[in-house]
Amino acid sequence: MYRLYRALYTILAGTVLAASGCILQASLRNPLVDHYVLGTGSGALFAVYATLLVLDHVTLWIISLAAAIGGLSALAATILIAESISGSDIAYVLSGIGVTSLFSGLSVLLLYYVSSRCGYASLMLTGTFIQSRLENLPYALIAAILVVLGYVVLAKRLNVVMLGDDHAAQLGVDPGLTRLLASIIAGVSASIIVSQFGVIGFLGLVTPHTARFLLKTSDNRLVIPPAMALGSLLLFTTDTLSRSLVARVVGEVPAGAVISAIGAPFFLVLLVRRFRGGFT
Amino acid sequence: MISIKSLSVRYKSSGVVALRDVSIDIPSNKVTCILGPNASGKTTLLKAIAQLINYDGVVEVNGRDARGIISELRRMLSCSSTLEELDLLGVTVLDVLVYSRYPASRGFFTSEEDLRRVSEVCERLGLSDLVSRRLGELSAGELQRVVLAAALVKDPKVLLLDEPDGHLDVYSKTWLSSFLREISSRVTIVLSTHDPLFASMTCDYYVVLSRGRVVFTGFHDELLRNTSLLKRVYNVSFTSISIGGLRVLIPLNQSAYRDKLMRQ
Repeated sequence: MYRLYRALYTILAGTVLAASGCILQASLRNPLVDHYVLGTGSGALFAVYATLLVLDHVTLWIISLAAAIGGLSALAATILIAESISGSDIAYVLSGIGVTSLFSGLSVLLLYYVSSRCGYASLMLTGTFIQSRLENLPYALIAAILVVLGYVVLAKRLNVVMLGDDHAAQLGVDPGLTRLLASIIAGVSASIIVSQFGVIGFLGLVTPHTARFLLKTSDNRLVIPPAMALGSLLLFTTDTLSRSLVARVVGEVPAGAVISAIGAPFFLVLLVRRFRGGFT
Repeated sequence: MISIKSLSVRYKSSGVVALRDVSIDIPSNKVTCILGPNASGKTTLLKAIAQLINYDGVVEVNGRDARGIISELRRMLSCSSTLEELDLLGVTVLDVLVYSRYPASRGFFTSEEDLRRVSEVCERLGLSDLVSRRLGELSAGELQRVVLAAALVKDPKVLLLDEPDGHLDVYSKTWLSSFLREISSRVTIVLSTHDPLFASMTCDYYVVLSRGRVVFTGFHDELLRNTSLLKRVYNVSFTSISIGGLRVLIPLNQSAYRDKLMRQ
């Protein structure tokens, strides 16, 4: 049963993080972001550690709620800072780096205190499925349902918002409201995943671009489902490899670390192409 | 069809009054030109008609206050707007046109009707070979045509175009002029431009703005008889010449150039 849960959670987490990345990129018109780059992941993790530190008896429900609040607060901080300095895609990346650094640093500080209460707390820094249990199922399912609802409600509107605020407004789509709704759905769903399995970076960055490249379109109605499938496949494969192959040599490596090793170079390639005027 | 009464716009952030007490009637199924130099309020007037900014006064469409019929207005009125840089998100010309069908598109996915209309517009505007191109791969003139196509795909009854002649070469301007005249029998067009030559080639009715105020409204012949007004507004002398039976406005320096050519 453990292996079944673990496989199921990699699939659900991959689905959620990929959809969250698609929604954030489209709503912010920014190809360089996902929940990790925008600081949502580290904000949620900090809130999880802080809850573990402050409360004696914590339930997964409380941890998830705290993660959602922490993740959304970090996302809001990144957006506000980025908009105050220019609102460009690079401003978002730089603000995200600042917010991520702040909450990552604070999380590491808290880790010294909470590691005695939560055995796998340190593995959550890079994302792990080692603690997969039946109790995680409702939270993973809630996050998945949230992004599916987000897809149905927002995908068509996000297409319009991508063309610019003036264009969206004259077509009858409120860009501010759409962006707010998209940020809440993407931020809360990704934060819930963080509360259960830790921070898995760059998955939400890589999969939307891969889906767009394969389908040769930016249409979120068409891109989000295959991106979710790719996210599931990538996370399931890396977790299986790190559990079965790598573990025989060096012990189990968190799946999030493997994803980051793939995703970070991809992010750098995007950054270079952004400045050289190339395409994905 | 469109009636504007005592319209004023003040930008709260800067305190600048962009339009002062503008009252005009825009005739149906004609090409109306909002003419004026930079910062005269042309774009602001178009945005106010499109209900994209706050204003004091009244904009009536078919006798009804536009503020009360916003959702209907979104279907029947198109306002051209610049497209964002979206290369890394992979937005193609086809994507832009399909997304711009939003108020007229039914259902979650792109319908056959959406694709048929997009295809018609692409064919009409010579964009069929460009549909799979990304926006960053287009020239400024091609991008301008995409902006026009995006405004047309929802089959509007009113078309507001902000400087549609910008970035266009002479051939494209001439083509655009005759295209707009051709569709004006079915669509009420209001466009803004800096260029009196393009305006006089294209438009039936003129609203001249200067520093946010209306200084002239009238039809083609009335404007051409009133070149002294244009001199005051633009600080440049104009003259009118006849090309193929159509009288157009040209700045006097161009007129001198024409005389020089004729002497040679």
